[in-house]
Amino acid sequence: MKDVIRLLRLFKPYRHWMLLGALAALVTLIANVVLLAVSGWFITAMAVAGSAGVAMNYFTPAALIRGGSILRTVGRYAERLITHEATLRLLAQLRVWFYSHLEPLAPAVLQRYHSGDLQSRIRADVDALDTLYVRVLVPVLVATLGACLLLGFLLLYDWRIAVVSLGFLLLAGVAVPLWSRALGQAPGERIARTEAELRTACVDGLQGLAELQVYGAAAAQARHIDALSRTLATEQVRLAGYSGINQGAVGLCANLSLWTLLWLAIPLVADGRLAPPQLAMLALFTLASFEAVAPLPLAFQQLGRTLAAARRLFAIVDARPAVEEPAGPSPRPDRFDLHIADLGFSYPGVATPALDGLSLDVPQGGRVAIVGASGSGKTTLFNLLLRFWTPDRGTIRLGGHDLAQYRGDDLRRYVTLVSQHTHLFDLSIRDNLLIAAPDASPARLEQACRVAQIHDFIAGLPEGYDTWAGETGVRLSGGQARRIAIARALLRDAPVLLLDEPTEGLDGETEQALMESLGRLMAGRTVILITHRPVGLDWADQVLVMDQGRVLARGDASVIAGATGAELLGGTG
Amino acid sequence: MTPTAWLKAQTPLAGRALPAAIVLQGLNGALLIAQAWLLALILNAVTFAHAGLAEVRPWLWQLLALFAARALTAWGAERFAIRGSARIKVALRDRVYHRLQARGPAYLAGERSGALVETLTKGVDDLDAYYARFLPARALAMTLPFAILLLVWPLDWVSGLVLLVTAPLIPLFMILIGRNAERLNQRQWKELARMGARFLDSIQGLTTLKLFGASRRQGTELAAVSEAYRVGTMRVLRVAFLSSAVLEFFATISIAVVAVLIGFRLYGFEIPLPAWISLPRIDFQTGFFVLLLAPEFFLPLRSLGTHYHGRMEATAAAERLIEVLGPESETAPTSATAAPAGPRTAPGPVTLSFTDVHFSYSEGREALCGLSLEIQPGERLALVGTSGAGKTTLVQLLLGFLTSTAGTLTVNGRDLRTLNLDDWHRHLAWVPQQPRLFQGTIGANIRLGIPPEDPRAHPDAVRTAALLARAAGFIETLPAGYETPVGERGAGLSGGQIQRIALARAFLRNAPLVILDEATANLDPESERLVQEGIDELARGRTLIAIAHRLDTVRKADRILVLDQGRVVESGDHTTLLAQDGAYRRLLHAYAGQGRLGGAA
Repeated sequence: MKDVIRLLRLFKPYRHWMLLGALAALVTLIANVVLLAVSGWFITAMAVAGSAGVAMNYFTPAALIRGGSILRTVGRYAERLITHEATLRLLAQLRVWFYSHLEPLAPAVLQRYHSGDLQSRIRADVDALDTLYVRVLVPVLVATLGACLLLGFLLLYDWRIAVVSLGFLLLAGVAVPLWSRALGQAPGERIARTEAELRTACVDGLQGLAELQVYGAAAAQARHIDALSRTLATEQVRLAGYSGINQGAVGLCANLSLWTLLWLAIPLVADGRLAPPQLAMLALFTLASFEAVAPLPLAFQQLGRTLAAARRLFAIVDARPAVEEPAGPSPRPDRFDLHIADLGFSYPGVATPALDGLSLDVPQGGRVAIVGASGSGKTTLFNLLLRFWTPDRGTIRLGGHDLAQYRGDDLRRYVTLVSQHTHLFDLSIRDNLLIAAPDASPARLEQACRVAQIHDFIAGLPEGYDTWAGETGVRLSGGQARRIAIARALLRDAPVLLLDEPTEGLDGETEQALMESLGRLMAGRTVILITHRPVGLDWADQVLVMDQGRVLARGDASVIAGATGAELLGGTG
Repeated sequence: MTPTAWLKAQTPLAGRALPAAIVLQGLNGALLIAQAWLLALILNAVTFAHAGLAEVRPWLWQLLALFAARALTAWGAERFAIRGSARIKVALRDRVYHRLQARGPAYLAGERSGALVETLTKGVDDLDAYYARFLPARALAMTLPFAILLLVWPLDWVSGLVLLVTAPLIPLFMILIGRNAERLNQRQWKELARMGARFLDSIQGLTTLKLFGASRRQGTELAAVSEAYRVGTMRVLRVAFLSSAVLEFFATISIAVVAVLIGFRLYGFEIPLPAWISLPRIDFQTGFFVLLLAPEFFLPLRSLGTHYHGRMEATAAAERLIEVLGPESETAPTSATAAPAGPRTAPGPVTLSFTDVHFSYSEGREALCGLSLEIQPGERLALVGTSGAGKTTLVQLLLGFLTSTAGTLTVNGRDLRTLNLDDWHRHLAWVPQQPRLFQGTIGANIRLGIPPEDPRAHPDAVRTAALLARAAGFIETLPAGYETPVGERGAGLSGGQIQRIALARAFLRNAPLVILDEATANLDPESERLVQEGIDELARGRTLIAIAHRLDTVRKADRILVLDQGRVVESGDHTTLLAQDGAYRRLLHAYAGQGRLGGAA
């Protein structure tokens, strides 16, 4: 119930659309009931009058039949348009709402989730929420209002008939839906879970196909996917089986209601307390009125699935971001000296600290190289400097202000990163560059690309800067992708530059050329570079050697000219 | 084949479930007619024969039995329809996935994986709209109205005529409106797939977006995309809804006409008509029966209209599926998988031979031009060269993911193209440059592809492999050790750690040929040294082919092949090549000079 209320609160901006949709549905329902009931009454009354040879006014019922026909058609069309309009508006808002809650969680909290799984959540789960309005809220509202009106009408004739109708309506509209909801809850949740698992398995299977094939695991992955697909189908069949029972139950309730009405009303006709045309009218009226509750079982069944989807969305949304944004405006420093004191940090659920008492001063324009094995805490330091995580103890000050005083986005105007992993979006090269500076002119883009030594390559492509990059686009080599990252950083023009093994995995020639571009990027900026290869660091004013979150040694480049470095370099040059 | 014909061709996959659903539905329709007749009988008796409850009681009991039978048949029909559809979906999903596998990594590299995943999951589920809804609805629409018409005509041809005249208008309008809507809908589906890819891309690149302060902006863009999708979808829906509104309008109007015509004749009202037409007289019981049947005549047609809209969704999904499946005759680059294996060869020493091998990704873009090469069992071969020299292409050819455009590549004298690819893969272990960790535990990732009954699947064997790859150290400090779950890109693990898990995979594989794509990248000097030791050990008695970007790892190779623009420009061991003062020496020089920052130093 709490989830339902929370969902309703999300729907609030569209309540006018939603009410309008429900109103159109109610009009359609009433028009339909009137049409059928009047037709029944009309034929019987005409037959009775005909056989008795008495005159009757047939204009009014004929007009009611005509009006009912038109109103029903128009009403249904309007209802469908309005409810779908409302639903799609809602869905668009929900996607953005979800993304905007996801955004503060990246990258710290999101590491826990698989991106195939996340995609399933943001898409399928958000889509599943549409059932709450179209299939749950509208039907419930229409059924409640419609049933009241219809029962009021029956009370005009006989209270017992009204009571029996109410009983069957409640059975079909409340008891059966509640029962079906209880039945549908478990398979609904299993369906949502299996769908997410299936999606993840497909992402793994397609993106990792090469490795699966070489390791002979492709067949196993296909079996895994097939097994998930079968589980999903079994659950879908089970859910549909329940829905079959429920749909059948509503029809049965309508028929039983009609049957009881005949049982009660036939003696009334025989007594002369009810005219025969009224019997025909009430019979058709009863049958038609069950249209009000017919969608309810399905609605409640969908509710189980929708709530499962909603709960999973809320679970992500409610995750606490690893970083809390400050309340006030960010400071605007005029110098960018970095001062790190006694910094300590542990990842959640990991016993050994990733950083343990690191202190470091980097004056503006300073050059620092940090050397250490993987897992020595280098990357953690960068995550803290970029405010992707919050330190457990100690402080980082930039330009004299604690990092916690900066809003993340403002801080990252001053501090930027070039790493070995460059995400190229499924956009043109131009748009990929513009991510770093949306207002940059074409001339500025070219300038940055020239400095990063990628302009000639891009200009040589048939479509130049409009060439598609990313998953479907032109395949860029590792060196080219990193040049784009350098160009992005140049466009960003931040005074503090973090370099995370920027040349890792490149061959010597490419690496040397890239270093030249990097050198241009570094000019006039504060630089911190992390690497696990202690070679060619003589440009740095300070070199730190780290291990397991602690600083082992610090000094100038000669610090690491010890045994390890010499051994590594020996013989290659 | 059109999507519709294709969808139809898949129906046998459902077995007997779909026919059973259709038969039960037909039975339900017959019971409905009986029910209407009984109801008219009762009302007639009460109205004109002044019958009391006692007289009609037997009929009421019969009516009750009919109600029960109808509920049962409706339930059964629904169940069979869904079960049949589920069978088709399971079979198709499996077939499509296998097809994608058979098309191989080279094909997938050119596709949007987000869209393919969408097709495999939601796309297949959308077929329900065709098999579980549209097909049964169509069967009912083609039988029940005819049955009703045949019954009504002899009773009252006037009502029969009204129904007969209006009924064909319904399918006519359905086709007229539907065709246009179908086209729109297919575009809509593509839009949806594009939106899916866009979301995945944004989420995967969220860290990059954040780094550049673009993540909020991206939120606005996603809003714009969703909004565009809403506008497009509403355009489709307006048409779809209009078609069902038209159908409904015809149905409603003709019911009203039937009711009015019956009413006036019952009343004895003389409708002014030419003398040669005389309307048949009608009694109340028949009139009421016809009135009860009239809505049921249109109901199957109307519900067909509703499901027609769903069918379009299924057709659009089918189009994507057909595209993925491709023409059956088309030979995928990995046609070798289909080749008969002959006797399965136990992994043993392999001699590889390239004879004048050419490969181009597209016309005029030669990645390999006339490569000839012999690799002896137990040899250690290093491939060096700038990026784009053809190192990766060579490895892709060896793995069978690409097929040479000209020339032959033989394994122990047999053309690689005639070998069973799975069998060939059993001979080798491969560590790509950016290894992927699959959903599951670290242990399961190391055991990748090894069946549980294999002795190598034993935890001790996994541990040994992890030790050799220098991964055991960090794995065992994790609280859950080898049971630690990992996800895509090994979330929570560093690049070096992922690399070492992939290396452990190769160690555990114990294959005669090992292909390493810069296996020691991302390792710190200490673990690099240890892994190098492990690799030396692994190389003993095996063939080792290593792509090296960093030259300090190749000195131990028996032979170093220097590639440039798809050609071997130099070949020999470290000492020989160094003495030659050629391409290798230049590369080495470039490597030794790396790290000296041109502009800043």
